Amino acid sequence: MSQSNPDRTYVESTIIMTTVRVVVPFVFTFGLFVMFHGAESAGGGFQGGVLVAAAVLLLAFAFGIESARAWLEGPLVKTSIAVGGATFAFVGLGALLGGGAFLEYEAYGFGTYGVKYGIELVELAIGAVVSGVLISLFFSLASGDFQASVPADSNGGANAENGGVNAENGAGSDANGDGRDTAVSATGTDTAVGAAGGDEA
Amino acid sequence: MTAVSTTLAIVLTFSVLAALAAILLRDVLNAIIAFAAFSFGIAVAWILLAAPDVALTEAAVGAGITTVLFLVTIAKTVRPSGERLLETVEWRSVAIVVLLVGSLLATVRSLPAVGAADAPVATSRITEYYLQNAYPETGVENVVTAVLAAYRGFDTLGEATVVIAAGVAVLLVLRQEAYV
Repeated sequence: MSQSNPDRTYVESTIIMTTVRVVVPFVFTFGLFVMFHGAESAGGGFQGGVLVAAAVLLLAFAFGIESARAWLEGPLVKTSIAVGGATFAFVGLGALLGGGAFLEYEAYGFGTYGVKYGIELVELAIGAVVSGVLISLFFSLASGDFQASVPADSNGGANAENGGVNAENGAGSDANGDGRDTAVSATGTDTAVGAAGGDEA
Repeated sequence: MTAVSTTLAIVLTFSVLAALAAILLRDVLNAIIAFAAFSFGIAVAWILLAAPDVALTEAAVGAGITTVLFLVTIAKTVRPSGERLLETVEWRSVAIVVLLVGSLLATVRSLPAVGAADAPVATSRITEYYLQNAYPETGVENVVTAVLAAYRGFDTLGEATVVIAAGVAVLLVLRQEAYV
């Protein structure tokens, strides 16, 4: 199957694409809400960051991992990790300049509001770190260059092997057929990407 | 038994069964789905134990992102051949698991009852301090957030540093120059 269509990056499904298009804005907004609203209700930077990452992962599943990767191309994700970590550290260090202890929000001199908004800023920073790390992890696992250093011949071999696995799925039970097909098609994608990475190198 | 403890018993039974399925199922894809079900059960258990912050984390990380990361990882493996549904059981491993679970269960009797008013965590001076002073001192209504980001802010900075360090380490191991 993957031999007949080597460019297939994912299985295009109108149902999944439409559902994700409707759901993602809400997931993303809920993630930001959980980050911002961690001070008043359950939540915080860690949980909100995971939800924001989940929104991006949904997009990647619906519209293809490669398309999502191209869409996020650039320093955005790496920068958000670095800026998040730095913001947290500088909020702590800034308190030292104000004559307080490390992370003593009172030292900024805005009273209780200063403490609260300091905490909000820290939660946002954590959210940026967590979502950035998770998005990077997903993309490097999903389209990593495990096979980039391997010669092109063995890529071809892996492709043939995937085809074999796929055929076996077809013979398997229908109940799990969808899930396995998805997993296997992802493998096909990865192999193709690995080959592409090898070409670049 | 109250309604909450009955529900909790059902949810925990479900979680234990899902965990057993995750261990025993031979196909990794099935095991991952069972593991996601286990995480979901644990998340519901946290809600029943009135810990929404932890429940949110468990649901988002355990049942959500971890499952997806596992899925994209096993996409790189091949499925085991053969039609067997379950993994063969190693009796030595079972003995070790029984020993570990048994010694953990032996400590359960000495834990205070759920929600007991005389539990050390409820009567502790520190708990009282947080509950009395968290709002006037930080203006934050969620005491959990006040403790995490203000009173234990340095710990949380360490936690964020661990996330960054682990992420950078894994990305280096995966040898990704242009991951995004």
